[in-house]
Amino acid sequence: MAEETVEIKTAPADFRFPSQNQTKHCFTRYFEYHKCLKAKGEISNECEKYAKYYRSLCPLEWIQKWNEQRDQGIFAGPL
Amino acid sequence: MNTKNTTLSRTQFQFQPFHLVTPSPWPLLTSFALLILTSAAVMYFNGYANPLGGSGALLVGIGLATTVAAMALWFRDVVAEGTFLGDHTILVQKGITMGVALFIISEVFFFISVFWAFFHSSLSPTVELGAQWPPVGIATINPFELPLLNTILLLSSGATVTYAHHSVIEGNRRGAILGTLMTLVFAILFTICQGIEYVNAGFTIADGVFGSTFFFSTGFHGIHVIIGTAFIAVAFFRMLSYHLTDHHHLGFEASILYWHFVDVVWLFLFITVYWWGS
Repeated sequence: MAEETVEIKTAPADFRFPSQNQTKHCFTRYFEYHKCLKAKGEISNECEKYAKYYRSLCPLEWIQKWNEQRDQGIFAGPL
Repeated sequence: MNTKNTTLSRTQFQFQPFHLVTPSPWPLLTSFALLILTSAAVMYFNGYANPLGGSGALLVGIGLATTVAAMALWFRDVVAEGTFLGDHTILVQKGITMGVALFIISEVFFFISVFWAFFHSSLSPTVELGAQWPPVGIATINPFELPLLNTILLLSSGATVTYAHHSVIEGNRRGAILGTLMTLVFAILFTICQGIEYVNAGFTIADGVFGSTFFFSTGFHGIHVIIGTAFIAVAFFRMLSYHLTDHHHLGFEASILYWHFVDVVWLFLFITVYWWGS
């Protein structure tokens, strides 16, 4: 019987965001992912860790809203 | 021999050193004027138009004009009582000085609240601003262009008004007039430069919390500059009219204290809003 260990983890605690409100943490990870993509290219795998972090932390509505904003060029991060 | 001493001394009819003011209509008039001003302003801000047509700004103007007029009439009486009727004994002068200082302290607290609002939004910028200050997309003003000139103007005006004050104390009429005149020139130049900045700024008061905090803080400071300029101008005209003595010139001293307060607020504004905030 093969037992598959399921690994469940979330984004690591970031000392830059020590408080209970993790909004900035989510935003920063999302922003770091896209900054990384811009710097290193879409195909690279080095950015995936940021992607995992922001997908754990951020509510789906925010991710969708920011994706739309990026498409329209009105995203509020200094990309 | 005509050597009868006809000089009347205050101690012959008033047995205490304070000033019990004769009945005056100006406080009541001022309160009605303020009522018109504040209620008209609230209606204008909330979009309640004038029933006779118009945005309601006319009533605000009427309220402002009546408030200024009532204040002018009241202060005119204070000048008459102090300069011509001799009601401002040393103790009355002390009381007036304390009153002016307390008023300025209350204005300091008002500006503390304005700066609090600025720091609340700028120290931890929200994600909607891009988590940075200045927010993404705001074209800030270079603090080392006009704002630096404004700082030099206000600091210089502080020096000239101090020179004017010392001249009054020394009895140097020419120095006092020139010093006060230079102070007024610098003050008006400051206001003109701020006007130029406002017209040519790359953002408006409606441009997010940056625009709001910038124009709220600099705007209220500008109003206080205009009030301070008027205050010093009144003292200037009284100086020309020989109202001041080398020992008794409370109105002038009050205007100087108010002007120093305006100057200090600008220094804080320059360092925090213009320099750090850009």
